[in-house]
Amino acid sequence: MVLAAAVVVTGLVIGLVDARAQDVLAALAAAVSVGVAVVVQAHRPAAAVAPALAWCGAAPLAVALVERYGQTAGTPTPLPAAVLVADAAVGLWPLNVAGLVALLLVFPDGCHRGWVWRAPAVLLPLATAATVTGLWGARQVDGELVGGAAGAWRDVVAVVGVVLVALSVCIGVAAVVRSARFGDARRRLQVRWLALAGVVAGALLAAGWVAETLGASLAVAYTPHLVAIVVLVPAAVGVAILRYDLFDVERVLGETVSVIITAVGAAAVFAGVVFAVGRTLGAAGEVPAVTAAFITALILLPLHHRIARTVGRLVDRDRYVALAGVERFVGDVRAGRRQPEELEEVLRTAQADPRLRLVLRRPDGTWADASTTSEDPHTVNVTAGGEHIARITLGHDTARARRRIAALAVAAWLPIEVSRLRLSLREAVAEVEASRSRLAEAVALERRRLERDLHDSAQQQIVATGMRLRRLQRELSGAQASEVDRAVADLEDTVRELRSLAHGVRPARLDDGLGPALEAVRAASPVPITLWVDELPPANEVRTATAYLVVSEAVTNALKHARAQSIDVAVGPLEGRMSIEVRDDGVGGAPEDGPVALRDRVASVGGTMTVVSPAGGGTTVRAVV
Amino acid sequence: MAGLRIVVADDAVLFREGLVRLLLDAGHEVVAAVGDTVALGTAVVEHHPDLAIVDVRMPPGGEDDGAVAAVQLRTLHPQTGVLLLSQHIELRHCRPLLGSPGFGYLLKESVLHLDDFDLALHRVADGGVALDPGVVQALVHSQSTPSIARLSEREQEVLRLVAEGHSNVRVAALLRLSDRTVEAHMRSVFTKLGLEDDGETNRRVLAVLAHLQAHARR
Repeated sequence: MVLAAAVVVTGLVIGLVDARAQDVLAALAAAVSVGVAVVVQAHRPAAAVAPALAWCGAAPLAVALVERYGQTAGTPTPLPAAVLVADAAVGLWPLNVAGLVALLLVFPDGCHRGWVWRAPAVLLPLATAATVTGLWGARQVDGELVGGAAGAWRDVVAVVGVVLVALSVCIGVAAVVRSARFGDARRRLQVRWLALAGVVAGALLAAGWVAETLGASLAVAYTPHLVAIVVLVPAAVGVAILRYDLFDVERVLGETVSVIITAVGAAAVFAGVVFAVGRTLGAAGEVPAVTAAFITALILLPLHHRIARTVGRLVDRDRYVALAGVERFVGDVRAGRRQPEELEEVLRTAQADPRLRLVLRRPDGTWADASTTSEDPHTVNVTAGGEHIARITLGHDTARARRRIAALAVAAWLPIEVSRLRLSLREAVAEVEASRSRLAEAVALERRRLERDLHDSAQQQIVATGMRLRRLQRELSGAQASEVDRAVADLEDTVRELRSLAHGVRPARLDDGLGPALEAVRAASPVPITLWVDELPPANEVRTATAYLVVSEAVTNALKHARAQSIDVAVGPLEGRMSIEVRDDGVGGAPEDGPVALRDRVASVGGTMTVVSPAGGGTTVRAVV
Repeated sequence: MAGLRIVVADDAVLFREGLVRLLLDAGHEVVAAVGDTVALGTAVVEHHPDLAIVDVRMPPGGEDDGAVAAVQLRTLHPQTGVLLLSQHIELRHCRPLLGSPGFGYLLKESVLHLDDFDLALHRVADGGVALDPGVVQALVHSQSTPSIARLSEREQEVLRLVAEGHSNVRVAALLRLSDRTVEAHMRSVFTKLGLEDDGETNRRVLAVLAHLQAHARR
């Protein structure tokens, strides 16, 4: 580390002293690596990455410094042994990649075990020795190698050096791939940061080639690539080690790669079309270019979409799998194969977070589960169309988990919306049912009260009036007394009328129980009724009255319309409720959806009623209350 | 007929006062007129009346408290007859008393038939029976025993009236028959029902019960 820093400082000083801008820039670029390395060292003292990173930038600078040293040989004041250094300098280039290879080998958590991974430590010096030997004495003049000893064996040695360098770099890359392959989620993320920088650098290199072919100067063509190497790679390594979950690196990587591929593809299409059109039509200039631009634009968008998906699947596998799981679920919900309420479980699986909770917000703004609050720091809010529709509480809360769940929630918008609507619908229906049964109970109580009033108030008063008339009658005789008799008889009729009125409001016989009340129905029937009444479960006023009503209405209808010879009535328990069956042997053909009023009464206590009435086959009314 | 010592229990003041006046007019002595079953119990203990006229629905419960009280009175004070009055037939709690001596059950408007009502009062006070036809009808329909269709139409008619608590003389008057004819019919009824005169059982009551059972499954 210290040596690397010294190299950088030396480079900087020499550059400044000589006032050569490109030297200063080179030193500054190297300083980025060293600077990042220092920061990494400070935060992760144990990490082997820091020195490797420092040398990643410092090594090329060091090589450059050695070359400069050698160049003093041609000046009036050569430094000691400058000639010797100059002879060796051209062959030192493998050392340029030494820092990089070291970085690749130790990134992110140190070197892998095994001799293969340590081989570059031997291979690179060997390679350097080979190239130094092969290029001994050569000088670089205006980018061309001049001088140096000739001889086939030297060429062979130089080639061997190149091969060894390539081998070392390959081992380094393999080490990184291995880290990504077999490492945990964190390591994969860290490697992706490095890969991102590598992809960008590679793309810029390719762009450099293109630029060079098109005639740009070397400096213009390759500077972006070099800057990427010396700035982006250290930056990516620093982020990977210190803050690997800073951004959604998989997505950035995936998008970068897909953009590059799309761009290259588009360029290829463009070039191909220009070439083909130029050939076929023999035209030059605008026509092929316009055609190519049109065709390229036409296929660019779908092409990019497809590429982005494919690349995303390869580069960002976890996210792709999670998202695909949610999207499949949404498809299943659309097709009716699954219930939208299963979403919480699906999200837990996709997010690998069994403690994840999904709380829906009802359309009226209240929360389905009040036990969690939006103040919970682990809560992610879900909005759609500017409306807050749900919140997700994470059991495993990281910046990365938050980004992931946000993406999943967007994909799961439909089931969330459907669940919350269904939730409020279900609650509304339950409320309506509860309210209906409350209403039915209130009506039953009201009927009871009305019946009481008729009996206890009106009837009593009429009878009391009759008694007064009777007392008055004692004073009278003859025609007047008879008139009172008639008046009293009228009053009695009125009392009987009131009684039957009260019976219609609510059969007082029900006070004796459903059985005796049904006996009375049978007694009143001109057609024989067979009655079975089993032991009945305890039932409230409303249900008892409804059961009575079903029987009396069904019997009345059978008598009125069915021309029945006999009627069977059976009432018994059924899973805590009352089952009622009234069957006649009449002409049948009764409307099976009627009678509506009775159906409503049965429904009002949460019961069901069916009418089966084939023509000529009698009528059967069944109800459960 | 000698006047009876009567307790009247009804929470409807208008009706109660009217009834008291009618009873006084008819020569009875109303020893107490009360408005709930608690006061009724106290009055009976205090006055040992011949008869208690009790409304079925009464405070404190406002349900058929009167009927419940009637059952207790019959057990605790057998010398006091109980006549229940009701706005409608409601037999839940007084079923064990129906047809038993010293108990009557009439609809309230029967008080308007002064003579019949007075006879019923005396019958119940003397350990007889007085049942509204509606009660009999209800009983018939809620009992379940084999039929006794062997009785002739006339005999059944006589038995029905007897079951309502009428004496032979009264039945004869109602059916425009001679007393002897009615007695003959009743003997025939006893015979056909297999009720022998052993000097101990009340054949009339048994016949009434048989009548009640007979109509159960018609």
